[in-house]
Amino acid sequence: MVTRWKLQVRGLLWMTRLPIVCVCRVFLIPQVLAKSVRYVYIVRPMSYTVIGKPLRHLEGRAKVTGKAIFTADVALPGMIWGKALRSPLPHAQIVSVDTREAEQMSGVLAVLTAQDLPDVLTGRVVYDTPVLARDRVRFIGEKVAVVAAEDPDIAESALSLIEVEYEELPAVFDPKEAMKAHAPLLHPDYKSYLHAPEKFFSDIPNVHSHVTWEVGNLEEGFAQADRVFDHTFTTHSQHQGFIEPHASVVSVDSDGRAHLWITNKMPVRAQKLLADAVGIPQEQVVVHPVFIGGDFGGKGSLMDSPLCYHLSKRTGRPVKMVMTYTEELMAGNPRHPATISLRTGVTQDGQVVARQAKVVFGSGAYAGFKPVPFVNIPGANQAAGVYGTPHVRIDAYSVYTNCVPGGHVRAPGDLQVNFAVESSMELIAEALGDDLLEFRKRNLLKDGDLLPDGHRLEHVRVDETLEAAIESSNWGKPKTGPHVGRGISASYRHIGTGEANGQISLEPDGTVKVITPVPDTGTGAHTVFQQVVAETWPLPIQKVRVEAKPELFETDSGAGGSRVTYVVGQLFKEMTEELKESVSHVVAEALDCQVGDVVFEDGQYTAKGVERSMTLAQVAKFGLGKTELSIRKTQVNRDKPQVTTFTAQVIEVEVDPDTGQVQILDLVTAHDVGTIINPIGHQGQIDGGVIQGIGFAMIEEVAMEDGQVSTLHLGDYKLPNIKDIPPLKTVLVQEEIGPAPFHSKAIGESSITPVVGAIANAVYDAVGVRIYDLPITAEKIYWALKGQNANVE
Amino acid sequence: MHNFVYREPETLEEVLALLSELGEDAKIIAGGTALIIMLKQRLLMPSHIISLRKLQDADGIDFSEETFQLGTLTTHRAIETSPLVREQIPVLSETYAQVATLRVRNMATVGGSLAHADPNQDPPVTLMALDARVRLASIDGSREVPLDQFFTDYYETVMRPDEVVTRVLIPVPVLQGGAYVKFLPRTSEDYATVGVAATVSIDPKSGECQDCRIVLGGVGPIPLRDQGGEALLKGQKLTTELLREVGDSAERLTDPVSDSRGSAEYKRAMAAIFVSRAVSQAWERALS
Amino acid sequence: MSSNKEIMQTIQLRVNGDEHSIEVPPRRLLIDCLRYDLGLTGTKEGCSVGVCGACTVLMDGQLISSCLALAVFANGRDIVTIEGVARGEQLRKIQNSFMDNGGFQCGICTPGMVISAKALLDENPNPSEDEIKEWMMGNLCRCTGYYQIIKSIQEGTAELADA
Repeated sequence: MVTRWKLQVRGLLWMTRLPIVCVCRVFLIPQVLAKSVRYVYIVRPMSYTVIGKPLRHLEGRAKVTGKAIFTADVALPGMIWGKALRSPLPHAQIVSVDTREAEQMSGVLAVLTAQDLPDVLTGRVVYDTPVLARDRVRFIGEKVAVVAAEDPDIAESALSLIEVEYEELPAVFDPKEAMKAHAPLLHPDYKSYLHAPEKFFSDIPNVHSHVTWEVGNLEEGFAQADRVFDHTFTTHSQHQGFIEPHASVVSVDSDGRAHLWITNKMPVRAQKLLADAVGIPQEQVVVHPVFIGGDFGGKGSLMDSPLCYHLSKRTGRPVKMVMTYTEELMAGNPRHPATISLRTGVTQDGQVVARQAKVVFGSGAYAGFKPVPFVNIPGANQAAGVYGTPHVRIDAYSVYTNCVPGGHVRAPGDLQVNFAVESSMELIAEALGDDLLEFRKRNLLKDGDLLPDGHRLEHVRVDETLEAAIESSNWGKPKTGPHVGRGISASYRHIGTGEANGQISLEPDGTVKVITPVPDTGTGAHTVFQQVVAETWPLPIQKVRVEAKPELFETDSGAGGSRVTYVVGQLFKEMTEELKESVSHVVAEALDCQVGDVVFEDGQYTAKGVERSMTLAQVAKFGLGKTELSIRKTQVNRDKPQVTTFTAQVIEVEVDPDTGQVQILDLVTAHDVGTIINPIGHQGQIDGGVIQGIGFAMIEEVAMEDGQVSTLHLGDYKLPNIKDIPPLKTVLVQEEIGPAPFHSKAIGESSITPVVGAIANAVYDAVGVRIYDLPITAEKIYWALKGQNANVE
Repeated sequence: MHNFVYREPETLEEVLALLSELGEDAKIIAGGTALIIMLKQRLLMPSHIISLRKLQDADGIDFSEETFQLGTLTTHRAIETSPLVREQIPVLSETYAQVATLRVRNMATVGGSLAHADPNQDPPVTLMALDARVRLASIDGSREVPLDQFFTDYYETVMRPDEVVTRVLIPVPVLQGGAYVKFLPRTSEDYATVGVAATVSIDPKSGECQDCRIVLGGVGPIPLRDQGGEALLKGQKLTTELLREVGDSAERLTDPVSDSRGSAEYKRAMAAIFVSRAVSQAWERALS
Repeated sequence: MSSNKEIMQTIQLRVNGDEHSIEVPPRRLLIDCLRYDLGLTGTKEGCSVGVCGACTVLMDGQLISSCLALAVFANGRDIVTIEGVARGEQLRKIQNSFMDNGGFQCGICTPGMVISAKALLDENPNPSEDEIKEWMMGNLCRCTGYYQIIKSIQEGTAELADA
């Protein structure tokens, strides 16, 4: 059943399609935020008491009062500071390291080089990264030595006293060069590295992972095509831009246990990784929960923590290392630059029938920051976009170069590839003389279509989502100036899978305590858990407490990959049901009745035909030591849902033809959503993703020349500020079919992806400049308008 | 940061005596927003830092002897928000308002910004277009240097190690119309790709330019005054063709470096565009 | 954070109403003095070059970057950090508004945001959207995209909230 709603908001007529699946009352809530430019339409059934409420994030008070403790805030008695010496060369043999003078400096407690450490490599999946460079350095910024001192100034002064003799080696920076026959081999022993995935080995030089996704038969597909198009696009590197640089604190106690505080959204995994990196059993690592100052995919590695461990072991003192932002930009784990080549076969009537994609990612000097088992960039598999293409083959190559190692950044690979796909769709439509919107609509994914990774989709709602974006935008309306243009883009994002763990218990005070190993990186995940548990019971929200205790668990997937609400939320929903069941047994025993007769009403337990009632606290006391009122569970969820999430955007820009400067006049983002658990957090993910997407598209670039990053502080690497944000309209196209608890869906990595393609398309519409190479700078547009750049036309 | 001795004299005489004694071993600190970054990066490692922060009467905005005077410790924010500046020299308050962020403007001082001599800054460009002079003091006495003779190279000026900026003087009345146009193609908070200040006076009868100044920032080792362009404008009425010629003149003068704000070629091209934009805006303001 | 070779200087400063007399080397930054000498870790360090605003504090009522000020600058001055915004357990309305409107996510920029927002509201209780943007442009947030921060400031005031 599809209903069309019309509503009048502040004199503007808005229409949106709101399919209704539940036979409940429907609310239309226009939220007016930031002037009169933001409208959110929400349809939600009334049956929930806690789900769907704009609840405060439960850790909010700590955050607005400065009491929330982040890793760099951790202070321990006797704590000292570590600082690393980094390589100034992109590729060199280390001939000698002389630390004698540094060791003599007053206030210096230890100086370590690779010779002082066990000869082990580390990484998130493949162990290819030395803790300190041993024989050679492979990028500018690689750590060569480390100093521990009484304060960071002394440590830094000591670094300047360390003498390293290098013998420079030929370096390679461009992945395409690195793949050539006689390119210098960065990791000749790659195949012997621990966890290097054999299935994805390649014989191409420096390619450490070659992944192929294939559906249909490419040859057959191209045989059906009347026209074949080739387009190649290149993209740049972006830092996650979290405001909190990586930090680690390690204190090795007298029993040899390593206490770890770390900017890591997978703290349980960090215990295992640290244990491996320093050669101790995992039980000897105790991770302590801390707040994380922004993740965006970048905070899943050990970063400096193995060094802290070794320094702590050496000195007997707790050691803290906090990266400067310059170190972040030089040696963090930024988004992978990519070259995306698309070959597309289209029939005379505008049907895309075949797509061959070659995606080459510059992996940088190490692959250890990549968290997926195939050690490549998962977003490459989106090279057919939101378009149902029967014959697809995608080859993704991740290639070692002498550049900063790449890592995951919100929707890794998706942005790069989606920009290529959405740009090429327009190039093809134009070549065919087809309408940009109609060409897209004709090819959209439908129920039952296969994605390039062979995953079959159901409940495909891309058409409605695209339509909603179009209707809320100025698409098709007269333009307000000669250099105004509009661009469309659409994307999908999976709902992630993985392993969830948790503990849930009824406490003597009558509250339900939820213990999770997953930190809340700011997404509101803990509040979501609280809401899921409270709704499932149902309990008032204050009766549910959430605590992060990663140290209690041995394995866990942690936060990331648009996974948490789905896998962890689902687990807590099930565990709540189980705990309720246990509680019913306790109540039945206490009230001397049948379990089936137990009733929970108005926060009290009673039973049919029984006068007495019990509070949760009374139940807890009665059940103490009798029944299991504390449940602990592990659940591995490998079922990638057949329902996915779609995003469609229309962006309107104005280009200054004298300078090439682009101003975004209007941005509409439409999302295919399920039940929204917490509208504050949900909208926050959309807003933040959009602005991060604008940053990627137009503002940010980890600029590199011969492996040297030139944007080395936030004065040069610019992040969007509050004055840079455009008018944003959010359209939520809701249907309760999500696989996550209460039919919710993922949102964290949705809004960021289409932004760059929509801006590129809008620029083309505005001034006829087609961008093939990111970022979309004023300068590129300027030269293109002057007819002077090969990268644009 | 390295170790240093911090001195905080309360009189200018003491400052000058210390400078005379320590010479190159000392660096002056006022707001600290530029110097502290250079200390952190160890680009500078002076043994002594002499603070002006305890000096009395070293800040302030006032008229005297037909000049508009800014004390060396006057903060950017004080100039930006001064009703007197807004009324008398609006382009000056507009310029200071565009510097970095509120926090930096609350600390950064007039004298510090000039002595720092970063060619990417905004205020020197406008001050030069206002014919400002810098008063320098040393133990041997004081001297005034016109701002267009003050800067010598990237981060270098005519100041001797024993000198300190005490005042900035702007002759009044200033030219009728002034504009500072800052080109920020990436974000609203950045150094300019190019920044241009223009001041213009127009003969009300003929509608011709009586006098003008054109100064460019961010496109050379120092702020660049385009006297050639000024000569083209003087005695002329404003036309599109003239604006283009003035822009071309400025472009020839520029010598930018490529960085994250644009390639040298792009900055040169933008210099021409923004000179014509600044001139036409100043012209418009001179007429109103 | 002390080294035996350094010449120490005694400074007296008031932080959140409390008087402190401490010895620091002249090179000590105000941010490090607050975070390590005084244990007030609510003030955060992000970029270290005065751009991001995480280290924002008030000195004699003016917003400054504590990463770009020496601790000796604070001698004889009055400093307010995020820990001094609430009065005990009693929050300011702006703090509640950040919670009610999603003005933070990860929380690392939040102390600086709240301090800046409170200073704005002290000076201008009803700022327009443009005035908010002009004032807050030096406080970077990577999580929120700023829309909910604008709303938080529009709906907040500098007054103390009901306890």
